[in-house]
Amino acid sequence: MSQTVLIIDDDEDILFVADRCLQLQGKWQVLTASSGTEGFTIAKQQQPDVILLDLIMPGVDGEATMKMLKNDIMTTEIPVILMTAKNSPQERSLYLGLGAIAIINKPFEPLEISDQISNALGN
Amino acid sequence: MKILLVDDDQYLNQQLSKSLKAHNYVVDIATDGESGWNYIESFEYSLVILDIMLPKLNGIALCRKLRSHNYQMPVLLLTARDSCEDKVLGLDAGADDYLVKPIRAEELIARMRALLRRATISLPPVIHWRDLTLNPAKCEISYQKSVLPLTPKEYGLMELFIRSPYRVFSYDSIIEHLWSIEEPAADNTVRAHIKSLRNKLKDAGGDPKLIENVYGIGYRIKSLDDGSFSHQYSSLNRPPLSVDETVTEIWGKIKDKTIARVESIQAIAKANSRNLNNENNPRQYAYIEAHKLAGSLGTFGYGRGSEIARKIEYLLAGEQPLDTDKQTQIEQLTEDLLKELKKTPTQPQTKEIKKHPQSTVQSLLIVDHDTILGEQIIREAHSRGLEARLAPGVGIARAMMVEYQPSIILLELNFPKPEEDGLMLLEDIAYHHPEIPVVIFSRRSSFIDRLTVCRLGSRAFLQKPMSSHQIMEIVTGILNHHNITGKIIAINDDPQILELLEALLCPLGLEVKTLNTPRKFWQVLEISNPDLLIIDVEMPHYNGIDLCQVIRNEPRWRYLPILVLTNHTDPETRAELFRAGADDFISKPVVGPELIARLFSRLHRSRLWRNIAEIDTLTGIENRYKSTEDINRLIRIAGRHKQPLCFAILDLDNFKDINDQYGHDTGDWVLHRFGEVLKKAFRQEDIVGRWGGEEFAVAMYGTSKQDAMNRLQKVLDKWRLEVLVPEDNIAFSVTFSGGVAQYPEDGHDLQLLYRKADATLYEAKQAGRNQIMG
Repeated sequence: MSQTVLIIDDDEDILFVADRCLQLQGKWQVLTASSGTEGFTIAKQQQPDVILLDLIMPGVDGEATMKMLKNDIMTTEIPVILMTAKNSPQERSLYLGLGAIAIINKPFEPLEISDQISNALGN
Repeated sequence: MKILLVDDDQYLNQQLSKSLKAHNYVVDIATDGESGWNYIESFEYSLVILDIMLPKLNGIALCRKLRSHNYQMPVLLLTARDSCEDKVLGLDAGADDYLVKPIRAEELIARMRALLRRATISLPPVIHWRDLTLNPAKCEISYQKSVLPLTPKEYGLMELFIRSPYRVFSYDSIIEHLWSIEEPAADNTVRAHIKSLRNKLKDAGGDPKLIENVYGIGYRIKSLDDGSFSHQYSSLNRPPLSVDETVTEIWGKIKDKTIARVESIQAIAKANSRNLNNENNPRQYAYIEAHKLAGSLGTFGYGRGSEIARKIEYLLAGEQPLDTDKQTQIEQLTEDLLKELKKTPTQPQTKEIKKHPQSTVQSLLIVDHDTILGEQIIREAHSRGLEARLAPGVGIARAMMVEYQPSIILLELNFPKPEEDGLMLLEDIAYHHPEIPVVIFSRRSSFIDRLTVCRLGSRAFLQKPMSSHQIMEIVTGILNHHNITGKIIAINDDPQILELLEALLCPLGLEVKTLNTPRKFWQVLEISNPDLLIIDVEMPHYNGIDLCQVIRNEPRWRYLPILVLTNHTDPETRAELFRAGADDFISKPVVGPELIARLFSRLHRSRLWRNIAEIDTLTGIENRYKSTEDINRLIRIAGRHKQPLCFAILDLDNFKDINDQYGHDTGDWVLHRFGEVLKKAFRQEDIVGRWGGEEFAVAMYGTSKQDAMNRLQKVLDKWRLEVLVPEDNIAFSVTFSGGVAQYPEDGHDLQLLYRKADATLYEAKQAGRNQIMG
């Protein structure tokens, strides 16, 4: 039984690699969005099982997107995993405080991302 | 979100509406079936909660009525009757879920959430997707202006795609959506319908590839622009690529683009635009590009590329125009990056378990709602080279423990919310992670509290208020305590005992040096510099009491723990040994567990002592007292073995400016970092110490002056290129100067060597700093 993952990232290359890598693992159906607002709309419509959200994006950034997702009754229950290239511990605890279930470091290893998501979801 | 609650139980209504409002629902209440119906007709609700036993019109009848009037919102039935017939009746009438009273508000709300998640979102009556228009009322789909002549199944397929434009539908899910159980369909039936649909699209002048095949999964409507990757990669004829092939192939496509991005960063750094108010700020652009590269290169197998990009990102952060130093650094780094990108990428690989990315670095988790104190401790921890994170509540702490696997936890017992209890967390940790040491720090300090936490295995109880410095002293003490290693010399004329000691102690990570006669003892002591000594009372030539006295007579060995193995249990011999300086006794025959417990207890205490007395807390390397002692020892050994020895003084250049410009915290951080670099750069037998301020001493045994200078030059080259990033948005580099003196040519004792090295250091500083002289 495959699960649906929504990836929100403004970097098209990253979006594409993550998309392909996850699909190749066979466990995931992948949705992609290249901005926070697009991601939010898709999340509401498609109800993915998990959202992978990049923190630094132009316009509505990851933090704002996170707040939108958490404040909307249609999306508040969807687990969110943050992706960040920033590693400072303060930021990480701040983001976990926002309600993310896990943080994935960027750059990610193509072969590991599927397992990282599975681990975060606890299956 | 608006909810209608229809129930004649006033009390329940009140309770439920309170809980629902607390979850941000808007609630209308009707107390009988008819008024409920009136509400439904007049307002729009996202969900209806219905009691079955209602005056005037009962719940099941009301449910049927609203379904027959085409109201599609989810309906949840409540009833006191828990019978199967009721449930069937309710669900058949069109209800979506069913709850038996007494109900719990949490369960009700959870079920509501589930229902609302499932609910179809009302879409506008006519949907447009690029040139396609879907009109559900007429069951028509048109491309541009022309209506497509579709069969019902083709229409269904197209509707599915258009309504969920980003979703990939697998064969199974398409069949599930469009075919009933009575008329099972196979994958190739779906394929046939897709094919015919594509043909019809083509006939109408559209692109048949608008319906896109996602290899191995299914279909979706094409979402990206022409020329996008998905177009190039989604071809039916290709065998599926493996992950690394995919990554390599994508890299092939974007390599040139990426190199161009790096070059544009380089160009921007060179031009160093001062036009900061410009909307299209090139500096900002370069900064974002560097950030993106840092976040993506590693994925394509350029881990080092990501690191370099991150350094560039830090250098580009901020508003001030770049100074020449930064410009040169960025130029250098971009050059490095371009070189790096020309290499073949490392293949993606799954690492064993990558739970903690910097598993070599020890990490501290602080669980306290006092975030100000927490931040102070984090800073203090960083200055000691420890990772630290703050969890402001017990719940977050649990989540963070899973992710970070801290080496040690600092835990407050009291939290403002009564449901957050530090003791409960401590209990959990004691049960699930007994290996993680926990330090309690709290205002609570009754004996009962202290006893409770001790029983739960806490390692220390600190009473607030306490400075972050004091707290970290204790935390690092416990951490070092935790992974203790040590060098032990055992002297005994009984080879069996020595063998036994080796067998007992080596597996525990201790280094054991055995001697079967005390005659060579003094030389061995000097060379191996042990952490603990095990001697016997009766030995040939010198007995245990002699040895103890000789050792304690030499100031350097005053703190060396001495354990004595003995058959004697008479108080007099023991008293004599104690007076001579022994620390503890172990009775023969040696009992393993007792020996180990006594030995470790001694090692811990002396380690604690020595850490305070010998290690520079800021840099983690030896302090002046200890390194002087060690260098003197090396000089004596060098003299005895006729070996050269080099002594160097290193001094960070313009260090005062760093303190002035960025503050002493940053200065301390730089010293700490420098300490780390020195520790890594030299061999174990070399001595590295901080001699005060920004002055460091290094002694290299068996090394000629030329070799020593070469080695120091390498350290300087590495250190000079290191971009220091103490905090986000602050980045700079520091250089150092060094003066080298050689034993015995430049002096026979440390004082003379120091004088000579200091004089050459002064010359190096005069000559423009950033160099080594000898």
